[in-house]
Amino acid sequence: MVSLARKNLLHDRLRFAITVSGVAFAVTLVLVQMGLFMGLLAKATITIENADADIWVTSHETPNVDFAHNFPETTVLRVRGVQGVARADNLLVQFMNLQLPSGAEEGCLVYALQDFESWRLPWSVNEGDVRDLRRGRFVLMDRSAERRFGAFQVGDYREILGRRFKIIGTTNQAASFTTAPVVFMDFRQAQELAENAFQKTSYVLVKLLPGANARQVAARIRAIAPHNDVYTKADWASRSRTYWVVSTGLGMNMGVTVFLGVLVGVVVVAQTLYTSAVEHIKEFGMVKAMGGSNWDIYRILGEQALIAAVVGFALGGALSLGMRPLMAKLYLNVLLTPGFGLMVFVGTVLMCLGAAMLSFKRVAGIDPALVFRA
Amino acid sequence: MSETVLEVRDVVKVFEEGAQRVEVLKGVSLRVAPGEVLALEGPSGSGKTTLLSIMGCILSPTSGAVRVDGEVVSRGDVRQLREVRRRSIGFVFQQYNLFPALTALENVEYALNVKGFAARAARHEAQQTLERVGLGDRLHFLPRDLSGGQKQRVAIARALAGAPSVLLADEPTANLDTQVGLQVLELFRDLAKQEGKGLVIVTHDPKVRQFADRVEGMRDGRLAA
Repeated sequence: MVSLARKNLLHDRLRFAITVSGVAFAVTLVLVQMGLFMGLLAKATITIENADADIWVTSHETPNVDFAHNFPETTVLRVRGVQGVARADNLLVQFMNLQLPSGAEEGCLVYALQDFESWRLPWSVNEGDVRDLRRGRFVLMDRSAERRFGAFQVGDYREILGRRFKIIGTTNQAASFTTAPVVFMDFRQAQELAENAFQKTSYVLVKLLPGANARQVAARIRAIAPHNDVYTKADWASRSRTYWVVSTGLGMNMGVTVFLGVLVGVVVVAQTLYTSAVEHIKEFGMVKAMGGSNWDIYRILGEQALIAAVVGFALGGALSLGMRPLMAKLYLNVLLTPGFGLMVFVGTVLMCLGAAMLSFKRVAGIDPALVFRA
Repeated sequence: MSETVLEVRDVVKVFEEGAQRVEVLKGVSLRVAPGEVLALEGPSGSGKTTLLSIMGCILSPTSGAVRVDGEVVSRGDVRQLREVRRRSIGFVFQQYNLFPALTALENVEYALNVKGFAARAARHEAQQTLERVGLGDRLHFLPRDLSGGQKQRVAIARALAGAPSVLLADEPTANLDTQVGLQVLELFRDLAKQEGKGLVIVTHDPKVRQFADRVEGMRDGRLAA
């Protein structure tokens, strides 16, 4: 079959380039902005996602994993007695000041456990053995800390809240939404350091017995710990994410960005397709004179919109992927998943088809008699 | 085959614009037989093109009857008008009205696609039709690369494609020089006759007369006596 849509589109290459550029711009804007947003949000829950805990017990109204509030550490004893619980341990999460060799102080986020290995924290160890943490004033520091703390080596010492700790290993991927570098140390060491952590914990991590239902066990824990909040892993990750999306205005910001991207795409595609439709009005009249219907013309416009969507998405997608290494050099993670890519593609197709529909009304009224006009 | 491929009877066409009422056709009747070439002459504003539009089922008459290929065309039934155009009418225009982005072959093939021909059959018939009008060596040329006469041949091939029983031409030689115009008319007439199609040519051009079996004049919305 001859595709008048494709031929007309390619016949006017400049207009086609403008249409595709508009779509590609919109796609790039949405992919990169949303990718950055999702990359940022991934940091907000990365420890929740990677820790081997099915249920998190928190203090009342803790907004997210980074902003922990402490509660009595003995809560863990009651939790261990709940039916369906295989294991429960305290986890202290605390912002502490770390002194750099220059004398300057920087904040870090300390994750403290007695037995890290059982909770798969940290989940990506570069150098060192996490089991050695319990032997004294030792820390494992995430490599991403170099951006804030400068270069460091295993064997170096750093002062945390005035006490010297030896760096005995490094980790990868551990991050906080607040960008404070993550440091792992023994639970008792952390309790001694922080004034507000004496006989306190920030969380109780819970591992379920095989076959136990997380929601049912969470309900049982709630019953014996009424002054705490209890979340399944998924609910706690969702709460942490939602806090940052809503409280920081990031969600609104992303919404506006996506809206603007879509608006630009719709305007460019609608404008170019409409102009093209008007310029080809006599041809559409000819299609009708030959016995074609409005649907034949709608199909032409729809096909043009679809081509613009596919080519524009491919271009915008390639551009976004190309920008990832550059963004990574700026420590910005553009998270692009196949599912998100598919969603943006479907959105792009709908956007372009919607834009094409603006021309439908114009062509619907074409009188085939105009073919007789000179 | 029916003795008449096209018939209009007592056709009246009135255009209304606000309070203004213009009667363009005032009771026109004529018939076209298969293989007959009818030239329709008349000054501008005499109603020739309006009559051609009604015969081509592009417009409906205000009153009167139109019969194409034996089928009575109902007034105002847009779907039937479109169907009759698709099946039974082929048009040729003064401005050719070719699709500039399509090659000669694709112009004819696309018309066949609109008429419901499948891809391969359409391509085969388009190629054959273009060869019949002497453009076998110009199949893949865009209209911009063809001369006026060649463009009009593509338009004729497009009109012939799909075997319509009626061919309607609006000033087909107006944009061609005399020699080329004569060649195009001769080709058009011969093909129409060979295939038994009724051909109506609306024209100002006196040289069309020599190719017509019958000449009708129009004046003020009526056929001249």
